[in-house]
Amino acid sequence: MRRIMAGAASGILAAGFGVAAAEILAAATRPQAGPLVAVGGAVIDATPTAVKEVAVRELGTYDKPALLGGIVVVLLLFTALTGILGLRRRIVVVAGATLFGAAGAAAALSRPDADVVDTVPSLFGAAITGAILWWLLHRCTPKPTQNNAPTRKSSADSGAVAEAPEPDFNRRSFLRSAALVAGGTATAGASAQWVKRARAGAAARTREALLLPAAASPAVPLPAGTGPGFVTADKDFYRVDTALAIPRINLETWRLRIHGMVDNELELSFDDLLDRPLIERDITLNCVSNEVGGPYIGTARWLGVPLAPLLRQAGLRAGADQLIARSAEGMTIGTPIDVLLDGRDAMLVVGMNGEPLPLVNGFPVRMLTPGLYGYAGACKWLTELRVTTFADVDAYWVERGWATHGTVKTASRIDRPKPFARLTAGTQTIAGVAWAQGRGIAGVEISIDGGDWNAAELLPVPSLDTWAQWRYTWNAQPGPHSIAVRAADRTGAVQAGERATPFPDGATGWHTITVTIA
Amino acid sequence: MRVNKFTAMTAAVLFSISLAGCGSDADDSTAGSAAPTMTTAAPTMAASPSAAMDMVNFGPGCAAVPTDPANKGSFESMAQVPVAAAASGNPLLSTLVSAVDQAGLVDSLNTADGVTVFAPTNDAFAKIPAADLKKVLADKKTLSSILTYHVVPGKLTPSDLAGPHKTLQGGEVTVSGSGEQFKVDGTAAVVCGNVQTANANVYIIDTVLMPKS
Repeated sequence: MRRIMAGAASGILAAGFGVAAAEILAAATRPQAGPLVAVGGAVIDATPTAVKEVAVRELGTYDKPALLGGIVVVLLLFTALTGILGLRRRIVVVAGATLFGAAGAAAALSRPDADVVDTVPSLFGAAITGAILWWLLHRCTPKPTQNNAPTRKSSADSGAVAEAPEPDFNRRSFLRSAALVAGGTATAGASAQWVKRARAGAAARTREALLLPAAASPAVPLPAGTGPGFVTADKDFYRVDTALAIPRINLETWRLRIHGMVDNELELSFDDLLDRPLIERDITLNCVSNEVGGPYIGTARWLGVPLAPLLRQAGLRAGADQLIARSAEGMTIGTPIDVLLDGRDAMLVVGMNGEPLPLVNGFPVRMLTPGLYGYAGACKWLTELRVTTFADVDAYWVERGWATHGTVKTASRIDRPKPFARLTAGTQTIAGVAWAQGRGIAGVEISIDGGDWNAAELLPVPSLDTWAQWRYTWNAQPGPHSIAVRAADRTGAVQAGERATPFPDGATGWHTITVTIA
Repeated sequence: MRVNKFTAMTAAVLFSISLAGCGSDADDSTAGSAAPTMTTAAPTMAASPSAAMDMVNFGPGCAAVPTDPANKGSFESMAQVPVAAAASGNPLLSTLVSAVDQAGLVDSLNTADGVTVFAPTNDAFAKIPAADLKKVLADKKTLSSILTYHVVPGKLTPSDLAGPHKTLQGGEVTVSGSGEQFKVDGTAAVVCGNVQTANANVYIIDTVLMPKS
């Protein structure tokens, strides 16, 4: 029994030392290649959204520490088992260490922007783990007696014989070795931290390593009865921008400058932003270039700093009516200042769906203005906010003929069935979404083959700034059919039926699809 | 990418037809405005030589496609919008675009998950006697049947193109040929192939296909 405990301890100690060694190597070279961060990131990516949602809901911003804790528990169990089994068969040590290294290396490679060299810390750590474990297990293996190992003179002559022999292994020798390894682990771990801090710059605080504070004003929980797909997974969130390469921004040197027609120019670091009270809100964002029924729309839970107080702190001068946001790659987005000050949850976003903002969605900071199309209020990779006037400055898309005020139009989309679907006769469910951010959806209606409009069932929503899911039960008869949808917002206005192209201020028209009932 | 351009072209043709009444391209000062574009492909993919090869269009008819990337009818513009929207930017496809509009298939084509469209040019429609064409355009059911016979599920690249394909109409089209020479149902020649749109591959053809009934 004591040997089993010693085996388990050996496994854990060896892994601790190996991980610490890998972390110190990574800290000195590529911090994002550290096995803990890499595995954590990979686990987050691999976690089904539903599970993540539950975790985020139940644990809030503690989901990251909880995740890291979970990884450590799995690691402890795995290494302890490797140590115990390794007592009998040393091949288990080799296999365990190999698996250990492969998992870390695979995780490192799965990260965005991974390089082959990112596998080195994990493989190095695994090799060290294996070697240490082998050595420790050797320490807690019974010494061979002279009878069955006559050639191993040294062991016969060693202090092992002189000391009172343990019934199964040399406890003192093992404990000495174990203490040595534990001390080494502590030293290496502390060194890794020290190296990371010393490297202060750049990659030391990667997106994966970033822990965002909890919102001072959290999002209201999603109401019961919200359908699947209400929140769009990060990987499915549309991306419309002009960036050829995703900007990589160093958190340590990133600054947001608020200037132009203001009394007090502000310059804020990322930490300055995080020091302010944060809000978290479910908001639907869509692109002006979306065709009727198109895919460029999604809903996320955004964590950010309210923008209006920042603008007020800067002190807006009389006559200013436009805020020009500039991104790291030079995009400019112009937003009406009266819109930003009207009480809506316009914010500088730092988090999306419980995670730091993904790189493609504008890491580290993007703007978000509920109720406006992205091109008019949602600049990504934000670096600068300039207070000016519409008369003086045309933003990027306005220069290209798009409208200056990009207010979202009331619209709806059929997601099920798919166009040209072949379905069976009888009861079929038609389902989709409708949106009018800021105004809210009052109703959705369906027309089959150009016939009467019939009300669809609306599912509950958390706020007026999100889309509303809807469904409609259809008694489908054989033949080809067209299905059209239209929505009304809570001002009473019905979605425009006339066809308009996305240019210059957003498409209109009732999404109409064709299906065949067999 | 190749598939997208082709689709875009077909779509462009179809759209041109439907939107022909909206004013000439020359007069439309907005026609040159690029839309905010969607970058779905990873930057590294766009840069890879194989992806670039896939973008190559082929056929004599491609020469009629506008070359200015800012033009809505260009291959570059069409690749960024769904097929029906793409077609509407192309003056070669204006009859098809109005037919698609007439049949109420614009949204279905734009929001289909990935299709191949055989897009007859205006000249192809002109081969049909005027009285017959008018009758077909007025009969939504027949028109829809003819148009969906020009659409195949999935994006077919030129290397997948030869062979029989089940259409959305239900019947089968048969493509013969190889390389840059293809015929559809033995009658319609591909005059510009491999046009990409956001959701479809387009092959522009010189004759309207008729479902075998």
